[in-house]
Amino acid sequence: MTTVVYSEDLNFIKTALSMVGEKVIVVSKSEVKLGEENHVIGQEAKEEKIAEYIVGLRPELTITGSTKRDKTVAGLVAGALRVPIIPEVIELFDNKAKRIVYSGMGIAELEFTLPIVITVIKKNVEVKVNQNCKVFKADLSGTEKVRILEEKRKEGGNVDLSSAQIIVSVGRGIGSKENIKYAEELANALGGTLGGSRPVTAELGWLPEDRQIGLSGQKVKPKLYIALGISGQPQHLAGIKDAKVIVAVNKDKNAPIVNNADYIIVADAVEFCKILTEKVRNK
Amino acid sequence: MSTVVALFKIVPDDTLIRITPNGIDLNVPLKISTYDKNAIEEAVRIKEKYGFKAIGITAGITDRKSIREALAMGLDEVISLEMKEMDVQSVAENVAEQIKGVNFKLVIGGETTTDSSGGVFIPYLAAVLGYPAITYVRSLTLIENKVRAERNLTSFSQIVESDLPAIISVVGEINTPRIPSVKQILESQKKPIRTVQCNSSSKIKIVSLTPYVIQRKKVIIEGKMEEAVEKLIQYLKEENAL
Repeated sequence: MTTVVYSEDLNFIKTALSMVGEKVIVVSKSEVKLGEENHVIGQEAKEEKIAEYIVGLRPELTITGSTKRDKTVAGLVAGALRVPIIPEVIELFDNKAKRIVYSGMGIAELEFTLPIVITVIKKNVEVKVNQNCKVFKADLSGTEKVRILEEKRKEGGNVDLSSAQIIVSVGRGIGSKENIKYAEELANALGGTLGGSRPVTAELGWLPEDRQIGLSGQKVKPKLYIALGISGQPQHLAGIKDAKVIVAVNKDKNAPIVNNADYIIVADAVEFCKILTEKVRNK
Repeated sequence: MSTVVALFKIVPDDTLIRITPNGIDLNVPLKISTYDKNAIEEAVRIKEKYGFKAIGITAGITDRKSIREALAMGLDEVISLEMKEMDVQSVAENVAEQIKGVNFKLVIGGETTTDSSGGVFIPYLAAVLGYPAITYVRSLTLIENKVRAERNLTSFSQIVESDLPAIISVVGEINTPRIPSVKQILESQKKPIRTVQCNSSSKIKIVSLTPYVIQRKKVIIEGKMEEAVEKLIQYLKEENAL
């Protein structure tokens, strides 16, 4: 049986290996020496070419990561092979997979048969390099259906919120882009990381988009999550389900976040930031 | 006439789904999945800008009220696929079957749905049809027989181009979906809805659907800000969260 593991992010490759063992072909952009074979496709490989390459390996089981481009590759592979696909799997055992559904309200357990394509949610696992791994270089050049004309790095970068222990997160209720500095100061004082809701990141641009938490952003699991002026739409709640303690600061005590938080202060988020920052600094 | 196809899924309103002692209560009002509304809006804008015909395809829950809403937003007609069992594969194959019957230039869907939120449907469909897939699009324009699109890939963006037809997924920030007027809602009554029975089966079986609940304490801390913050610090220390 051929199992192929692919992700543009090493942590997803490790997650996949922790689920299916190491008798696999690992397809990666740079050399990782994981799996029995490691097919190195280069940093410039495009989604459609990566999918074509994986399809050419004729896998019964394909596991990819769940970045936006990984999921695009996974969908293309499954569609070309005409096999079922299960995205964003949190647990995999034998022929069963678990995934989160209904904006974080439920867990579905699914039964599948091979062949199949699965994308997995990132976990923090370590996998040892295989010194006997056979490394191949693959050439994925050639004409593409989708041509890239321009690539622009955005402000920010690639903040990994998924491993942050303390997150201070802002929503529209913070009031303005200028007010975000108060949340940032609080995050710094607490040794935490700054995050934000979809409106604040993707829509208003008050924070870079790599800070987005929720269904279409990152899923986080800190020990402390402070939601400042976040109303708590299900798409946001879907991303913070695994937080240990949630503090919500909101002017509206009827906001949905109130029912989904451990501690609630009904007040202005900026005023809260100033006072908590000062108290933390003076400790 | 060229056609733009908007794909949309009708789902239980995720703001109303409740956890009950018996499990997840999905017997709640339905809605068009959040980002699929952006897909409908974008299709209607293309119709208005380039004179295309805009048709919608929905599969699964074929709620008339939601379909009327899509028509009221400006779609010319909707094909409604009745499917008993559905997964990405079975829906993509049935949608592909319908799409082949129209002279389409663009197919647009949302990046993900609020019920099963996979983000893999659009590339799957593109591979089945053999046309280019452009995912996570935040803006798009048509230039002659090509589409140029900006993809939002979180830490960077990409401007890409492909020939038409193309299969596209859009993100929420591409537009603000319109709210239809009373007149548009009334007019939507006259627009055609074509129902198609699909004999579909899914190779993936749902074994169980269990509530994913984390009990939150919901302690409202009152009083002056100084005191409230002091109290909060106490609580957080007790929980080892600080």
